[in-house]
Amino acid sequence: MKATSEEVQTTVKKLFEAGNIAHFIGYEKGSYNLRVTPCFLKSGQAASRLVWNPLCANNLSKYLLDFKNVEGKVGIMVKGCDSRSVVELLKANQIERDKIFIVGVPCSGIVDKEKLLEVLGISLGEVVAVEDDGDTFLVTLKEGKQRVEKEKVLRGECLVCKYPTPVVYDVLLGEAVSSLPWVGDDYSLIKEQEALSSEEKALYWNREFSQCIRCYACRNVCPVCTCSECIFDKKAPRWLSKANNVSENLVYHLIRAFHVAGRCVDCGECERACPMNIPLRSLNKKVEKDLLELFDYTAGIDVEQQPPLTTYQVGDLDEFL
Amino acid sequence: MASQTKSRIIEKNKLTELLDKLAQDYHLIAPVQGNNVSFRRVESGSEVTLDYINTVLSSKGAFLPQTETLFRFFRDDSRGFRIETVNDADREQVVFGIRACDARSLRLMDMVFDGQYKDSCYLNRREKTTLIGLACFDHAETCFCPTFGIDPTSGEDVDILFSDIGDRYLVEASTEKGADLLNRFSEFFTELRGDEEQLREARKAGLEGMKKLDVSNIADKMAPLYGSDYWDSIGMKCLGCGICTYVCPTCHCFDIADVSVDEGGERFRCWDSCMFPEFTLMASGENPRADRKARVQQRFFDKLKYFHDRYGELACVGCGRCIRYCPVNIDITQIIEDVTSGKAGNE
Repeated sequence: MKATSEEVQTTVKKLFEAGNIAHFIGYEKGSYNLRVTPCFLKSGQAASRLVWNPLCANNLSKYLLDFKNVEGKVGIMVKGCDSRSVVELLKANQIERDKIFIVGVPCSGIVDKEKLLEVLGISLGEVVAVEDDGDTFLVTLKEGKQRVEKEKVLRGECLVCKYPTPVVYDVLLGEAVSSLPWVGDDYSLIKEQEALSSEEKALYWNREFSQCIRCYACRNVCPVCTCSECIFDKKAPRWLSKANNVSENLVYHLIRAFHVAGRCVDCGECERACPMNIPLRSLNKKVEKDLLELFDYTAGIDVEQQPPLTTYQVGDLDEFL
Repeated sequence: MASQTKSRIIEKNKLTELLDKLAQDYHLIAPVQGNNVSFRRVESGSEVTLDYINTVLSSKGAFLPQTETLFRFFRDDSRGFRIETVNDADREQVVFGIRACDARSLRLMDMVFDGQYKDSCYLNRREKTTLIGLACFDHAETCFCPTFGIDPTSGEDVDILFSDIGDRYLVEASTEKGADLLNRFSEFFTELRGDEEQLREARKAGLEGMKKLDVSNIADKMAPLYGSDYWDSIGMKCLGCGICTYVCPTCHCFDIADVSVDEGGERFRCWDSCMFPEFTLMASGENPRADRKARVQQRFFDKLKYFHDRYGELACVGCGRCIRYCPVNIDITQIIEDVTSGKAGNE
C-alpha cells in the first residue's frame, strides 16, 4: 500500500505528542493548482496541513541546514532521492543523525507539470488533483477524471530513478518499492552526448549557457551545496564576474558540476528550479557516470563511503602524472 | 492627428513579413522560443513565436540589459588612461508582443530612471523604442494584473496595440510614434471590415475569473509589519535565489563593476538582486540584511510600500512570473491577502 496524506498526518502528530520531534519539515498544499509548498511545523496541531502526493517534488533536506542550531529533534519527510542527499549531508558532517527524525515515503514518481499539461492538452486552471495509481496517474479535472500513463509525464530524474525507497529512515510509511518498471539504462542520454564531437558539445552547451540568467536557483536549491560562503559570492578575490556572458556562465556551471561530483544524488532539483530550462542534470549525470565507471562509486547510499574526489588512496589512478 | 491614429487591420498571414521588415529597419525584440519563450533580439519574423500567455523573461532586458558595458578604458602611453564610450543604444528598436503588464512596468521603471537622476543608458533605449503591444484574451492561473488597474486588453502604455481577433489583428496606434511606424509600413495594413470591435469584445470572455485583489491601502497596512514574525515563515521557505527578481518586470536593481585585462578593460553594469546576501554586504563585513527573513521582508516592503512611498505606485504589475517560477511557491498574492486581511502579524 502507498502512503497517504492522512498517514503522514497521523504519524507526525504522534511524533510530536511522544516528544520525538520538536519541528517537522513536510509538504502542504500550494497556493494554486498543481503546487505543493514546503511546510514547517512546530507542533502536531497543524499536522492536518501535511500532504503527500505525486506533486511533492521539493527535496526538503536542504532545509535541515537551517536547523543546525535549533533545540530539539527535527522531523523531515523524504522520498528515495531526498534520503540520499540526507546521507550526503551526514557524510559531510552537516547534520547529526541523532538530531533528525526521518519519515521515509517510497515514491513511485513525481509529475512533471509542464509535461502533464501538454499531454492532456489543458491549462493549469483545469487540474484539481493528481493521484498515484500504479502505472498511471489519476488526474482529477474540474470536469471529470483522466488517466495518464506515468512514463509520459514523469520528471526526468524519476524516469531513471534506481532508489525509489528511502535508503535511510526512522519510520517508513507505505510499502517499499524496490524498482520502477520504466527504469532501464539510466545513461542512454549521456551516451548520446558523449558521442558528440568536442565542437558539437561546445555548440550545444554554449547555446544552453547563453540562456542562463545566473539567478543561482540551481545552487541554492541543491541539497549538497552547503558551503557557508560560496566561491561565486566572494567579492575579494572575485573568482567569477557578475557579468552575464557565455564564458562566465560556463565557468559557473562547470565549477558547480565538479563541486558536487560524487555528492550529487540526481534529485533533479537544479533542473526543476531553473526558470530557463537548462538541462543541468545532464552535466551532473555525466560526472556521476564517470565516477561509477572509474571508482565504482554511487553517491548517497552509505554514510561510511567517502566521495572519491575528496579522499586519497595509495592505489589511486595516476596515469596523468 | 485623427487620421494618424485611425485603427487598421493586418491579415495574420502578413505578420511574419511585417516582422521581417521591422527586423531589417530596427533592432527587433520579440518573444522567441528557446528553452522557454522569452524576449530576445531577432533577425527575422520567422523566429518570433506567438504561442505564449506571457514570456518567462519580460522585455525589461531591452531597456536594462542583464549586462551592459558603460565604457571601455585603455592605458595610454603618454597620459595615463583613455576612455572610450559605448553607444550600442543608438539604434531605433521595436519591442513586439509586449503585454499590458510589462508595458506598465516600463512606466514604473521610468519613475526610477527618469527621476531626480537621469539614467542616460535606460532613457536612450526608451526614447528610441516603439512598443507594439499584444492584447491578452487569455490568462494564466498566476495572472492578477487587474489588481493594479491594468486592463490586459488595452494599449494604454504602448505605442501600437495588436489585438488578435481571429483571422486578423486589429491594429491601433495610440501615440504619434506608433502612428509614424504604421504609416511607414502602411502597405501591410488595410481598412477595417466593420466587425472588429464585436470580435474583440467576444474574445474578452477568456479573461473571466481573473484574480483581482484589493490593494487600495496596502502600503499603510505594511508599515506595522516591519520586523513581524510573519516574515519568518516566508524567509524560512525562501531559498535565496534570484528568480523572482530576475523574472520580475519591475525589479531594476543593478551593480556596477570593472573588469580589466592587461592594459585595458571596461566598466559594466549588471542586474543584481536583493535576494542575494552580498547585495547589502558592506566593505566592513557588516551585512544589514544578514538573513533570508530580512531579505524577503525587504523585497515585499519594496514592492508594496517603499516604492509607493517614493513614487505613489506599487512596484508590481501582476504578471505572476515570481509566483509561477518560485521553486518553493512563495506567492505575492497570498502575501497581499494576508496583509490586507490582517492575517499577517497575528500569528
